[in-house]
Amino acid sequence: MDQQLFRITPTGWAGLAFAAFCFLVLPSVAGSFWLSVLTSAACFAMAAAGVAFMYARLGMVSLCQVGLMGIGGWVMLRLNHGFEFPFEVNLLIAAIVTMAFGWLLALPALRLRGLYLALVTLMAAGGLEILFATFQFPNGGEGFWGVNLGSVGPFRKPALAQSAEAYLRFVVLLVALGFLLIEAHLRMAPGRAWAMIRRSEAAAMAAGVNVTFYKTWAFGIAGLLAGAAGALLAGSLGLLDDGTFRSSESIMIFALAVVGGARSWLGPIIASVLFRILPALLADWGVNTNLAYVIFGAGLLHALITAPNGIAGQIHDAVKKLGSRA
Amino acid sequence: MTKHLNWFLYILIMATSMLWLAWGKPFAVVGLFIASGLAVGSLYALGGIGMVVLFRATGVLNFSSGAAGAAGAMLAWQLGQWGVWPPLAWIGCIATAVGLTVGYGRFIAPLLAWRDTVVKAVATLGFALIVLGIVSFIWPDDPRTLVLPTDALGVKFLGLRVTATRLIAFAACLLIATGIWLFLGRTEMGLKMRSVANDRDLSALLGIPILTVETVAWVIAGLLAGFSGLMFANLIRLEAVVLTFMVIPSIAAALAGRLNNTALVLVGGLSMGVIESMLTLSPTLKGVRPIAPFVIAAMVLLYNQRAARLVFAERG
Repeated sequence: MDQQLFRITPTGWAGLAFAAFCFLVLPSVAGSFWLSVLTSAACFAMAAAGVAFMYARLGMVSLCQVGLMGIGGWVMLRLNHGFEFPFEVNLLIAAIVTMAFGWLLALPALRLRGLYLALVTLMAAGGLEILFATFQFPNGGEGFWGVNLGSVGPFRKPALAQSAEAYLRFVVLLVALGFLLIEAHLRMAPGRAWAMIRRSEAAAMAAGVNVTFYKTWAFGIAGLLAGAAGALLAGSLGLLDDGTFRSSESIMIFALAVVGGARSWLGPIIASVLFRILPALLADWGVNTNLAYVIFGAGLLHALITAPNGIAGQIHDAVKKLGSRA
Repeated sequence: MTKHLNWFLYILIMATSMLWLAWGKPFAVVGLFIASGLAVGSLYALGGIGMVVLFRATGVLNFSSGAAGAAGAMLAWQLGQWGVWPPLAWIGCIATAVGLTVGYGRFIAPLLAWRDTVVKAVATLGFALIVLGIVSFIWPDDPRTLVLPTDALGVKFLGLRVTATRLIAFAACLLIATGIWLFLGRTEMGLKMRSVANDRDLSALLGIPILTVETVAWVIAGLLAGFSGLMFANLIRLEAVVLTFMVIPSIAAALAGRLNNTALVLVGGLSMGVIESMLTLSPTLKGVRPIAPFVIAAMVLLYNQRAARLVFAERG
């Protein structure tokens, strides 16, 4: 089994090569504007990976991922301004707290399926959006909510990544670890359980799979990734804006995860590129950014109707075809 | 009996919360918030009713109704700017929403007819994004207002002045809800629609024209989307993104009726609007008042499935 766990598939090699490229090359060539865009894109790739795997492996639609990112970011900022822990400890706590929220969200989800599950998560996203808009994110002020009007308190970056360039490297590394965490799960007992649940809950139950446990576990992983992503996003600028965590953004990241292709590592990357980099590019080229919505929408319809594995699936097929011809 | 007990419990909880919020406040202030809450709640309810009728008949939960309403409202504003006779502009709004909704229903929805309900719902999201993108492209962010002639008219009621727009929203909601109830219960098309909602395959075997029934459902959904888009644009804000995502509280209202009971949607939507508006009276909860629909919907969902156990998965 251990051999299976560490076996690297051709797509796996491609993914590792891509991660190495992002780690070594991208931060050195990007200017300060693109460093911040790429950092935020990397954070959203991690969050998208969470929703993508829940959708692809369990057929569960979560429309609350960006809301959960907000929780991770909130905890991160709260800890940063309230205590003296180093960045890494804050990151870990933020991720774990968000995982707990993911579990909380999973409680109703255990009995609800399909559409109702999607809607309950949407209600949660709507609620979180309003909480963030009302209470804002801590920035060094007094009290529990810690909001200071005007001035912003200092933010401690990770010891190894003080500059924007090093911070992008740090984020890329953690995002790669997040993807590997999902992959490891898929190759071990949870992955087999999820595959069975996806096929038929009844069969899974009959085979002795603890359906409740493994579904909750999936929510926990998605929450963990969202929390870490939100905390890393908070670290990028040292502050967060509630406009980033609207429920419409949660809907969008799910839609784009489907467009990108939920089944492979490339899908969430494509999703985050579409989500963060495409609008920046359009703005750079002087094209109206609202057209990005049209592209997203058309991409989503196209993916749902004709390309179940999304853009990543199409790229994969194209590469395969080229390989067999050569 | 249990069914009525649930109704009773819901109304009791809502009435208690309202009483708690209104305690010790002058009647004039409370009345004002109730009136404004009833108007917004009516629109939540209308949006929810459109959603439930369409969902029952076609199995599609339509996330794009907000976007269709936004497109219509923007067009109505534009026509107003060009000096078109206002009633024509309003008809233009509703016609746009119907056109977009039916267009989706006839040409795109059939491509996904045999997929999961979640996939169908997510696909309407794609359509909503396309419409939103085009609308925001044509009418970039600018402060706009959609003024209706009824805004200036007021009615004195128990010493309170209520604008005619709010009254129209509330009256239209009650009328439309009754109309749809009668339509589903008393007409032949309503019977066919209920039959399709019950079992699509069996209805097809019985010779019920599925396509016609579905088209009628899409038309109803479009009409309600257009009307609530126009009203939301007037009562809340004329902005494409805001209007598009006003679909979320409508979904909350639809959930209060468990996606199948229009009467419950009506009660749910109205109470959500009133509670949301009355939360303004509470100093601590004032800031979070738009959260009311989501909390109520989540509570109803959780209450409804309290006895459910995780057993065999159903299809669809």
